[in-house]
Amino acid sequence: MKKNFDAIVVGAGPAGSSAALTMAKAGLDVALLERGAFPGEKNMFGGVLHRLTALEEFFPDFWDQAPLERHIVKKGLTFMTGEATFNVNFDTQASDRTPYNGYTVHRPRFDRWLAEEAQKAGATLITRTTVDDVIREGGKITGVTTLRDGGALKAPIVIAADGVLSLTAEKAGLRRPKFDRSHMAIGVKALIEMPKETIDERFGLVRDQGASTEIVGCTEGVRGGAFLYTNYDALSLGLVLHLGSLADSGKTPYDLLNRFMAQPQMAKLLRGGRLLEYSAHLVPEGGYEMMPELVGDGIMVAGDAAAMCIVTGLNLEGINLAAQSGVLAGKAALEAHNSRDFTKSGLSIYRRMLEESFVLKDLKLYKRAPHMLHNDRIYTSYPELVCGIMDEIYRIDGNPKSTMTQLLMRAVKEKVGLKNALADVYSGWRSL
Amino acid sequence: MNIDEIFDYTSFNIDREAHIVLDPAICVRCDQRACTNSCPARCYTWSEEEKKMTFVYDGCLECGTCYVVCRPGAFKLWRYPRGGFGVSFRMT
Repeated sequence: MKKNFDAIVVGAGPAGSSAALTMAKAGLDVALLERGAFPGEKNMFGGVLHRLTALEEFFPDFWDQAPLERHIVKKGLTFMTGEATFNVNFDTQASDRTPYNGYTVHRPRFDRWLAEEAQKAGATLITRTTVDDVIREGGKITGVTTLRDGGALKAPIVIAADGVLSLTAEKAGLRRPKFDRSHMAIGVKALIEMPKETIDERFGLVRDQGASTEIVGCTEGVRGGAFLYTNYDALSLGLVLHLGSLADSGKTPYDLLNRFMAQPQMAKLLRGGRLLEYSAHLVPEGGYEMMPELVGDGIMVAGDAAAMCIVTGLNLEGINLAAQSGVLAGKAALEAHNSRDFTKSGLSIYRRMLEESFVLKDLKLYKRAPHMLHNDRIYTSYPELVCGIMDEIYRIDGNPKSTMTQLLMRAVKEKVGLKNALADVYSGWRSL
Repeated sequence: MNIDEIFDYTSFNIDREAHIVLDPAICVRCDQRACTNSCPARCYTWSEEEKKMTFVYDGCLECGTCYVVCRPGAFKLWRYPRGGFGVSFRMT
C-alpha cells in the first residue's frame, strides 16, 4: 500500500470527508482513514442534519444527491411532566422549499455517501484502520501510525477529524489530556420502526416532510432533554444527558430512556413501533470553552474533535459546523501546499478562516449557553410550572378563576421563586 | 428495551483483543464508580460482596463515557477497537 500522501485525514465523518473532498477536488493526494468497516459504521447522532452551506459548491442539488430521510418543516419544543405535555410548534411552508433547512438522516448511509464522494474525487479511502499515534519529526507532525500491521502513513499535513475524544489531537499535544465531565453530554438513542403512513398521520406530515421536537422535563431531574425526529419509516428518539449530572444522579441512561418512552403522551406517539437499534455517543456540549488548539505544526483539528458544537436548548448544531470546518481545513491545506509552509504559522490561515465564518462567530456568540443550561430548574421546575399553569387555565372545577397575573405569580413563587425566575430570564436572555 | 438484550438490537464484531483494560485497584479505591450507572451499555458492574469491578467490552458502544468519568489512571489501555471490530451501527 502507498505510504506517502499530500495530506492525511483521520476520520471519515462529516468533517473529515468534507476536508478530503475539498483537497481531492483541488488535486491533492489525500488519504482518508476510517476505523469502521465502512464510513458511518461508528457514527450516530441525536440530531438534525442542518443545511450544509459548506458543501453547496460541490453539491448544488444536495437534496437530490445525498441519501436523506425527510426534510424538516415542523420544529417543536415540548415541556413534559410525568403526566402532561405542553407543545410549541412551528410549521412553515418556507422550510418545504429548496434549499431545505435541515434533514433527518441515517448516519451509516449519509457518512458513507459523503466519504464515497471524496473517494470519487480522488481521495484514497482506507477503512478498517484505527490510528494509534502521530509521527513527529523535528517537532512537526509528519504522519500517523495505525493499529493495522503497525503501518505508518506520511504526509506534511494531518487533519484530526476523529470525533469528540480526538485521541489524535491529544497525541499531538493540542488538547488537555483530561476532559471536564461538565463539558460533555451523553446521547442515547432508540431507532423505532414505523410505517411511513403512520408517521405522516401522527405528526401531520405529507410527502418527505419531517418533524423534529426537543423535549425538556423528561429526565427526572438529570440535566438534559430528549429529542424525537421522524425518519422516512422510522422514528429517532433519545436523551441527551449532561455527563456530570448523570454520574452524580446514580440513574442509568437506558432506564431513563425506557421511562421516557413510557410517559403517556410519548407512548401514544410510539404505539406499535418496534425497536430497530440502540446507540450512544458523547456530545462536546462545552463548545467554545472546551476547544483544543486548532492548529499545530503539520496538523489541524476539525469538527467534534475541535468541540465545534452549539447547544442552546432550542438548536443543536454540529454537523454543519463540522462540514464547514472540514472544508476550511482543506482550503488551508491547499494554501499550505502552495506556499510549502506546513508549520503552525503556515496553517494558521485555518483559524483565521474559521474566525471569519459562522463557525467561530456562532461558537463565540453562544459560549455562555452551556453555563445557562447548567441550571437544575430548567429540567424540572419550569416544565412543571408551564404544565401547571395550562392545567389551571383549562380546568373547570366550580371555583372562581384567578386572573392570569395572579395565576402566573402564584405558580412562579411556588415552583421556582420570583428571584430565581428573574435571574433565569436574565441569564437566558444574555446567553441566547 | 432491556439493556441485557443489547445484542438483539445492535450489532458487534467482537475482537479477541480488549480495547479497554481497567486497573482494578483504582476501581476499588474509587468513591463514586460513576461508570456503573453512566455507561449506556452497562459494561461496568460493581460487586459489593466481592469488592470487585467487572468490565465486559463485548457490548461497548464506543461512546467515550468511561474515558471522561473515570479516575485518572483507571485504564491501563483505552483506545478504540482495531479497524473493523467493535460496534457496527446499521442505520441509527
